[in-house]
Amino acid sequence: MLTLENIYLTFNPNTANEKVALNGVSLQLEKGDFVTVIGSNGAGKSTMLNAVAGTYMTDSGKISLDGEDITNMPNHKRAKHMGRLFQDPLKGTAPNMTIEENLALSYGRGTRRGFGIGVRKSDEKFYKETLSRLGLGLEDRLKTKVGLLSGGQRQALTLLMATIVTPKLLLLDEHTAALDPVTAKKVMDLTNSIVAENNITTLMVTHNISDALNTGNKTILMSGGKIVLVLEGEERKNMTVEKLMKLYSDTANDAFSDKMIL
Amino acid sequence: MQYLTLGLGSIEQGLIYAILALGVFVSLRVLDIPDLTVDGSFVTGAAVSVMFTQLQEPLGGGILFPVLSLIMAFLAGAITGIITGLLHTRLKVPALLAGILTMTGLYSINLIIMGDKPTVSINGMNNIFTPFMDMVGSDAVSRKLAIIPVILVVLLITTLALVWFLRTQKGMALRATGDNEEMVKASSINADNMKVLGLAVANGIVALSGAVLAQDQNFADAKSGVGTVVVGIASIIIGETIFGKRSIINNIVSAILGAIVYRIFISIVLQLGLPASYFKLLSALIVVIAICVQVTGEKIARKKVRRANKKC
Repeated sequence: MLTLENIYLTFNPNTANEKVALNGVSLQLEKGDFVTVIGSNGAGKSTMLNAVAGTYMTDSGKISLDGEDITNMPNHKRAKHMGRLFQDPLKGTAPNMTIEENLALSYGRGTRRGFGIGVRKSDEKFYKETLSRLGLGLEDRLKTKVGLLSGGQRQALTLLMATIVTPKLLLLDEHTAALDPVTAKKVMDLTNSIVAENNITTLMVTHNISDALNTGNKTILMSGGKIVLVLEGEERKNMTVEKLMKLYSDTANDAFSDKMIL
Repeated sequence: MQYLTLGLGSIEQGLIYAILALGVFVSLRVLDIPDLTVDGSFVTGAAVSVMFTQLQEPLGGGILFPVLSLIMAFLAGAITGIITGLLHTRLKVPALLAGILTMTGLYSINLIIMGDKPTVSINGMNNIFTPFMDMVGSDAVSRKLAIIPVILVVLLITTLALVWFLRTQKGMALRATGDNEEMVKASSINADNMKVLGLAVANGIVALSGAVLAQDQNFADAKSGVGTVVVGIASIIIGETIFGKRSIINNIVSAILGAIVYRIFISIVLQLGLPASYFKLLSALIVVIAICVQVTGEKIARKKVRRANKKC
């Protein structure tokens, strides 16, 4: 489904600020895989997601989605097949446009935007039904500007928008990190049910180790721009938060001491 | 009588600059780009309009060429917007600088369009108002009463077309680009193309208002563009301050009314005896004052909320 082959990416090459962000990352996701990604700050998790989404172009290596080589495809074209959520809940929605206009924009994903009317009356019922599953009462506020919603409401709406046209791949970059614990759980539960319902291949970065183990079917640990551990099957089932935490801090320390030596 | 002429005159000018305000609204408020191309594209519209109108001398055709000249002016303005848009999106020139570069270049282009003459007159030829002028008497008031409905029709067509456009899928993508570019890219929309399209529409409308002004004044002046963008911004901010900015339609109506209020205000101040040379300074000051009013208004509103919360 999604294949990353030997991806390298260096920021500010040949300068004093040179930083190898991805140092030979290879990863294979099958259809329906839900992979969680953990690792310390600077390990390359978000960079990997950005490389997949096309926000950053890679220096070498190959990325393919569903058999199609997308290594050199600009990000707005990749977005036809990808839904994406950021850590910042404000990033995924247009604040000065109404809820229905935001939904209509994402409902048009992958189609050519023409001179047809933007928000069709006939879609209104569908938007209402879709919104009602959030349980936030947004279905009665279609004409409300999104800027008036809370961060949690906006993130939930972004999740709907990212999946309103079922994407081949869903990229979640710490999408619950900025929310309060109750809202974070709600958004996480919603993510799980939408992903399961539509069998969406998903890549989720998180700092919450228990989320990383309890959601999805695979967990990978990154450090220093590399994937250092892949957990799946029995090994993952037997893994506890404590044990993983120890592995996690060991790799973080390694990376740290490497830097100290240099 | 003098005041009636004056009043009608400022409404006439206000309606022409309302078209300008619509154009500036597209770049400044929809795309969130302060586009300085306007100072050049306004004159481009005027220049194209007079040159095209002059074609009636050899070719005849009554008001065919004046009317066509408005469409040509829109297209020429759209091209200037595309140039700024390409500089900004393809060469990554900051939007302000891209506008300045195009505006500077346009100064020469406009002179070239006008055959290397600083002013070109179409006095004595048919213009878009001619058939209506023929219907009324030659006194100032009835001439103005013939001119105003024609400008009103152009303004109305532009407004309706703009409102329709902003509600289409393309228009919605355009609005979202100014609102949240990241989100637009994530919705598989090419944000760069949207910016180029938006600047094309914006400057097309600006050039249209320049063309209507040239038809109204019967001449084009290569130097008349300086400060045009400030007039547009002033209209928008005055409109927002007085008439609100709750929705797209509210925004557009505010910009139109703001342009008329601005023009009336200017003519009152000039009537009170301010020399015409202070005109540009006055325009700039009005923008500053309008922004002050907006900011203080928001502060007062916030204070009120705070006081109300204390009582609870």
